[in-house]
Formats: sequence, C-alpha cells, structure tokens
Amino acid sequence: MQIAIDLEASAPPFAQLIDQIKRAVRANKLQPGDPLPSIRQLASDLDLNNKTVAKAYRLLERDAVIQSRGYRGTFVHPDGKINCAVDMNAWAEEKLGDTILELRSAGVTVPEINTAFRSAMNEHSGD
Amino acid sequence: MTLSDTLFYIAFVSQILLLSWYFPNKMISRIEHVLATYPAEAYPKLYPMPVAHYRIGIRRFRMFSRLGLLIGVAILLSVMFVVDHSGFAEHGYISSFWPAVYGMIQFVPFMAIELSEYSNLKLMRQVNTVSRRTADLQRRGLFDLVSPWLVALAGLTLAGVILFDLYLHGFNLSLGHDSVQRALVMLASNGMIALVGLYSLYGKKLDPHQTSADRSHRIAVNLKSLLYLSIAMSVFVGISAADGVYDIDFLDAALMSVYFQAIGLLSLGYTTRNVQAERTNFDVYKAEAPAAR
Repeated sequence: MQIAIDLEASAPPFAQLIDQIKRAVRANKLQPGDPLPSIRQLASDLDLNNKTVAKAYRLLERDAVIQSRGYRGTFVHPDGKINCAVDMNAWAEEKLGDTILELRSAGVTVPEINTAFRSAMNEHSGD
Repeated sequence: MTLSDTLFYIAFVSQILLLSWYFPNKMISRIEHVLATYPAEAYPKLYPMPVAHYRIGIRRFRMFSRLGLLIGVAILLSVMFVVDHSGFAEHGYISSFWPAVYGMIQFVPFMAIELSEYSNLKLMRQVNTVSRRTADLQRRGLFDLVSPWLVALAGLTLAGVILFDLYLHGFNLSLGHDSVQRALVMLASNGMIALVGLYSLYGKKLDPHQTSADRSHRIAVNLKSLLYLSIAMSVFVGISAADGVYDIDFLDAALMSVYFQAIGLLSLGYTTRNVQAERTNFDVYKAEAPAAR
C-alpha cells in the first residue's frame, strides 16, 4: 500500500496524509490491527518533518482511526473503518452553526458573537 | 621457511589480490556497466554532475587501487627479504602489524568511493524538483528485513567471546587487563555497528528517487552485512584471546590477513553480490519518471 504526497497541492501535507490513510482504511487496503510505519520512518521516506507526520497521526488517533500501542507502534483502530466516516470538521461546523443561529435569534449581534467566540477560544485554547 | 611464514605469505598474497585487484576491478566494471547501460541522456536524474566527473572518479579509484597493489607487493618483498622479524614480534614470527596496516591502506579507496557516493546522493536531493513523494504504508522493522536468528547469533557470539576471553584469563575484571579492554573495544565497535544499522533502517532517505522495494532491499543487505561483520569481529577477537593461552601466536599475521579479507568479503563482497544493477529499478532516474514507487 503506497501513499503519495504532493508538496505543491493546496492541501497541507498532514491533511493529505490523513485523507489517504482514511481512504486506505475505508477501502480495506488497511485492515483493523494492521501496523503502520513509525512517524520517523514515514517522515524519512516522504522527506517531511517528523512533526508533520506526528500531527497527522495525532489527529487520526483522536478520530479513533488509528491507535498507538506504546513501544509496539501504531496500528489501525479496530473500529477504524466506521470512525473514518466521522468528519470532525463538518461536525464542528454544524455545532457552531447551530449555536450562531440560536444566538442570532436571541438578538445577539455579529460583532458580539465574534467577541464572545474569541474570548471563549482564548479561555479554552489550552484544552 | 617456517610454517608460520608460508601461511602468512599465502594469506598475504590472497589479501593483495582480493582487496587491491579483484574487488576494485569488480567495482569499476559495475560503475562502467551503469554508465554504459543507463546513460545520462536517458537517465539524467542519476547524474547530478557531468558524466566526465564520474569518469575522473573511476580513473582516480583505479590509480589508488593499483598503488595499493604495488604497496602490497613492496610490503611482501620487504617482509620476505629485508625486515628483521625478531625486532617486531615475539619468537621472531612475522608481525601482524604488516597485514593490519596494509589492510587499512587497502580500504582507503573504497572509503573514498563511498564518500563520493554519499555526496552524489546529497546533490541528487538538492537538485530534486519533484514535488510528489511516495512511501510505503508498511512498517519497516529490523525483523521484517533480517532474521531474528541472525541478530541473536551476532549477540550470542559477542557475549560468548567476551565470556570466553574472561574465562581464559581467570575472570580478572580490573580495567587495565587485556581481556577487559578487549571486551570494551568489542562493545564499543558493536555499538558503532548498531548505530550504523539504525541509521540505515530509520535514517534519512539518501536517494530521493529510489523505489521503496529497492530501498528495503538495500537496507536488508546493509543490515545483514553489518551482522556478518559483527560475527567475524567476535570470532577474530575470540581467536586472538586464545592466542597466548594455546600457543597459536605463530598464526597471528596470517590470521590478521584473513581477518581483513573476511571484512572485505562480508562488506564489499556481500554488497556487490546482492545489490545488482539488473535487480534495481532505474526507470525512476528517467527525465519523465513518475515519483518513486
């Protein structure tokens, strides 16, 4: 199973990595429990920074598409295929959209929402 | 002529021919084969520098190898007819200094060619403009490429030889004792071998165009060669440790010569035998080649 990164594509390399690993899991090219290359190996092979691959793996782990098992390495999550369908970006947009609609219908202005959003982000950005 | 002398002359002639004639010729014919079969016009990515530069490199390598051959013959003749051996070694045997120093001289051209390959690959990376990069989504672990038995054998040989050496010398663990110093040198050398192996396995991809299959094959060959070298080194140190105890020091010089030949066979010989142009995918070096697969 091969992965390809185009440095000139509009999507950043970490997003391309996430997208291709999810596609491989969805297409059963990667089965639950299959081992994945280490961050260092993938970064070296693609000539990318370790942090770029680490970021992709961290987000995939957050979405429960892959799981890290300490020194044994990283593997495809047992529920990886189902979890691939969950689009965290779309979900975040939907939740925010609902909240904005609720605030607007209560008469809160757009600048007030912006200020509140920034304030909330500052308060919770460490989470 | 004593048995010790005869054995040394046979081993030393073999050392001269193997490391300063056979392997250099094999190396040159391989490079010339690549230059002829995969010319710069069709495979421009293989040559980040003008081809004339590589031809000069071949000429220099040939010249230094021939020089090594002449030095070998000169050492052989000096050892046979000029040198007073009683001044160099106990019991008047030929000193192992000669094959050891000569062995180091013989490896200089190979190290130079290795360094020039490294700088060629660095240039290749610098001029690489391909924005699409590919990699295998398969884990590349040590035991995916080499047998665990071979790794265990190298580890056990190392441990066995250290214990054997200590046993022969009454488990004298003082730092100044020969067997302890040999053990430390062995551990340091094997540590270096392990570092080189780890760099080969997890280090930077040196050739930006190399396919994943070729890279894995090359890494496997490197790792196996390093493990064989470790085993050879342990065996040699084991024999050296037994030297004084079993009165086999008349074999010292011949053994040292055989040791250098073993290093040559297990590094240069094993690599040239297992990494062949015919089994390498050169299409990736073509002008319009797709990204490495």
